[in-house]
Amino acid sequence: MPDQADLLPGTLDLLILKALSLGSLHGYGVLLRIQQISGGALSIEQGALYPALYRLERQRLLAAEWGTSANNRRARFYRLTTTGRARLRAEAAGWKRLVDAMTAALETRIEET
Amino acid sequence: MRWRGRLIAWWARWRRSRFERDMAAELQFHLEQRASDLVDQGVDPDAARRRASLEFGGVEGYKERCRDAWGWRLVADLRADVLYGVRRLRASPGFASAAILSLALGVGANPLVFSVVSSFLMRPLPVERPGELFFLEEERYPTHSFPLYRDLRDRAGSVASLAAYRIAPINLSGTERADRVWGYLATGNYFDLLGVTPAHGRFFGPADDRQPGAHPVAVLSHDCWRTRFLGDPSIVGRTITINGGAYTVLGIAPPGFYGTERFYHAEIWVPMIMQAQIEPGNAWLETRNTSNAFVIGRARSGTSFDQIAQALNGVGADLVREYPDNHRVLRFKLASPGLVGDMLGAPVRAFTLGVQTLAGLVLIVACLNVAGVLLARGADRARELAIRLSIGAGRGRIVRQLLTESLLIAVAGGAAGVALAVAGARLIRAWRAPGGFPIALDVTLDATVLVFAAVISTLAAVVFGLAPARQAARTDPNAVLKGTPDAMPLRRRRWAFQDLLVGMQVTLCCVLVAACLLSLVGLRRALTLSIGFNPRGVAMAGIDLALAGYDRARADDFQRRALEAARTLPGVESAAYANSIPLSIDQSTTRIRPDDQPDGTPPEPVDVSYYQVSPSFFRTMGTRMLDGREINWSDSAGAPRVAVVNVAFARAVMRTSTPVGRRFRYGRDGAQVEVVGLVEDGKYRSLSESPRPAIFWSILQSPNATTTLLVRSSLPEEHVTRQLQTLVATLDPSLPVHGAGSLIEMLRFVLLPSRAAAIALGVFGALAMTLAAVGLHGVVAYAVSRRQRELGIRIAIGAGPVAVLRLVLGRMGWLIGLGAAAGLTLVFAGADLLQAIVLQASPRDPQLIGAVVLSIVLLAMAACWSPARRALRATIR
Repeated sequence: MPDQADLLPGTLDLLILKALSLGSLHGYGVLLRIQQISGGALSIEQGALYPALYRLERQRLLAAEWGTSANNRRARFYRLTTTGRARLRAEAAGWKRLVDAMTAALETRIEET
Repeated sequence: MRWRGRLIAWWARWRRSRFERDMAAELQFHLEQRASDLVDQGVDPDAARRRASLEFGGVEGYKERCRDAWGWRLVADLRADVLYGVRRLRASPGFASAAILSLALGVGANPLVFSVVSSFLMRPLPVERPGELFFLEEERYPTHSFPLYRDLRDRAGSVASLAAYRIAPINLSGTERADRVWGYLATGNYFDLLGVTPAHGRFFGPADDRQPGAHPVAVLSHDCWRTRFLGDPSIVGRTITINGGAYTVLGIAPPGFYGTERFYHAEIWVPMIMQAQIEPGNAWLETRNTSNAFVIGRARSGTSFDQIAQALNGVGADLVREYPDNHRVLRFKLASPGLVGDMLGAPVRAFTLGVQTLAGLVLIVACLNVAGVLLARGADRARELAIRLSIGAGRGRIVRQLLTESLLIAVAGGAAGVALAVAGARLIRAWRAPGGFPIALDVTLDATVLVFAAVISTLAAVVFGLAPARQAARTDPNAVLKGTPDAMPLRRRRWAFQDLLVGMQVTLCCVLVAACLLSLVGLRRALTLSIGFNPRGVAMAGIDLALAGYDRARADDFQRRALEAARTLPGVESAAYANSIPLSIDQSTTRIRPDDQPDGTPPEPVDVSYYQVSPSFFRTMGTRMLDGREINWSDSAGAPRVAVVNVAFARAVMRTSTPVGRRFRYGRDGAQVEVVGLVEDGKYRSLSESPRPAIFWSILQSPNATTTLLVRSSLPEEHVTRQLQTLVATLDPSLPVHGAGSLIEMLRFVLLPSRAAAIALGVFGALAMTLAAVGLHGVVAYAVSRRQRELGIRIAIGAGPVAVLRLVLGRMGWLIGLGAAAGLTLVFAGADLLQAIVLQASPRDPQLIGAVVLSIVLLAMAACWSPARRALRATIR
């Protein structure tokens, strides 16, 4: 897969929260959803997903329960909790501010030179 | 190995816990799902599985990170550490038991001893402002005559209030059976002065203590009320029968209050003014010559004990002028209350101090031991730690693991120690004095001290347990693994420190063993001491006819009939009776003015123990007659007054060594008494007393209704005791028999202090020996194991056993020798302290020194035996 950007530290959590805000998913589903919503532009080391999921569950941002997958297999499904949703909003806003500020800063520099 | 099997099962169950199963399933699901997606995209199934796995990354690594994220790590590590620690301790049971035992003894013995000490000396009496209380002593005597008490109370009232009391046996009936209980006669101001509040009813006051014989009232102890009257509150105001008379119960003392002597648990208090009724036939309240009352005082606020002593001595000087016949000097001393003043207090204090010192020494030995054992073991682990470091263990992780192991030892040792202390305290509390005297040691464990000892020993375990970690941190793992000798950079210094440990242990062990042996020698001497009679084979039974309401003639008759009956019992060699026997609790003294000195100066009155004895008394007791004859039946009321005296009496009062046939003056009227017999000196009040004068009156001439019937028999004492009890019951079924048993049994009570001392010291000695042996063994075994290779080479190229042993044990020998020398020096230096504790044995006795040296040698041999054998069998590996 060409033109893939590595994740900035901390962004994986945000991506997971975003992916799950669209509906509950199992771990592999989260991976697919992230690839889908990022248009395949972001690469995730697949195994790294799970420590992040466990951490977020431990922080009670996610809730998990065992269910059945589309092909009728037992799988662990994650969904966003209320606190998770609030966290997503806050983090997304913060991220947006950061990106705006960075963009503005970078563009300003170009005009001055 | 059921335990081990269960451990493994438990471990496995934990590992396959839900968390682990779920996590594995989840990751597995991911991999399979990815692979099947790839297959859907047209990848060949095998390649798909490989690629899925590749894309995923290291499964185990991520699992670990998941556990971390979940917070499993700390718990898991801790469990692993604990399990590993337990396994390691189980793998070396010798080491584990040595360390745990050392700690248990150190942690357990000390708080126990301290608690005993504090209940002896430090806990105040359960009264109001106990710091103001004092026990009044005159010179060295704890008792005073009642008129003297009254004078002091009235004339020194401005500096201190004084109350008098006396320990007295009381016949209590009106419950299910007649019982002889122990109580107090106390003056009316006694409870006011102490400031105790009754649990029920009221205490008697000064108004209940005015007219002789006119105040039949009583106060019961809480225990007495609960056990004898079933805790019935309506007993207050009712009458009970005391010595045949009706007494009204005024109130119940609060729980935990047993009066003013610490070990004497009184059951009943009666006003002092009833003395003649409580102690029939022996009225002494108006006699200035009979000193029977204890006096306790409370300082008026603002007066110091010095001021009080001064004021009392002032009064004393006046009284000497007023009653020159009764008092020559009156000098008072204020002692702390609770232990019959300094009479019991001083030796008890010296002894407890000694034992406490020993307990401290044992704690030090225990800590040294733990340190030594842990250090030696730590060095053995250098290799293990090096391997673990080189395969990637964090140093922090290793420290944590060692810490866990140390803590395991500390917890196990501490728990065992606490259990030991609790069990010991229970044992001491449950102990009751032989002979029915209500003595109890109210020992409760001092929690602070328990915690202190536990903290100290835990610290020792942790600090020294971490030594290998400290060493590992500075060690190059490669060098250790290669076996380079210099791989242990701290070796030299640590060895010096361990040398010091060994030396100190031997030193302390020496001191403790010396103390222990000394006490045993002392005890043996006390047992074989000439006590002036032969207790073996003598049975006795106390009869209190006065308490039972016998008048003099009936009492006389009863005593004779009882004696006749006792004499005809099978196996009886001889029988007698007396008001009291030497070394029993009940001792009477009188003062006799010796004959005028040659130069005519009026002599000082001499303190004399006196007994009222029947014919055959000396034969029954096994006392040697040196001259003259025993009291016989013709020495009766109408006959001339006679007495048998001992050697000390003849010397001090009559100034002669051949008193038989001579006379001396006795009493206010100066009646002449003829000495008819001379007996050997004995022990009368305590085993440690120096020879004191004693006189034996004919009980026919000076009757006493309180007597002890004595029988010497070839049959076992218990058997004879039962026969005596039956005999008394046949003569008068309502008569209580007290203090029945063998004379030896009674003497055990007298020997109790030295026995207690011997037991305590013996235990400490054995403890120290055990600890030192364990410690030495650990160190020697370590030295041998470290030099195994070298020894193997030496033996291979022809070193003889002697050379090998010298190599291994030479240094140890020096250390033990030096330690022992230091220890013996300490024993010599502390000889006076030891002698204060232990009766009749000198620590400078060459036999004792020899025994100490011998035991140290044995100890060293025991400790070095198996390491030495190992050294001799060393081969190159």
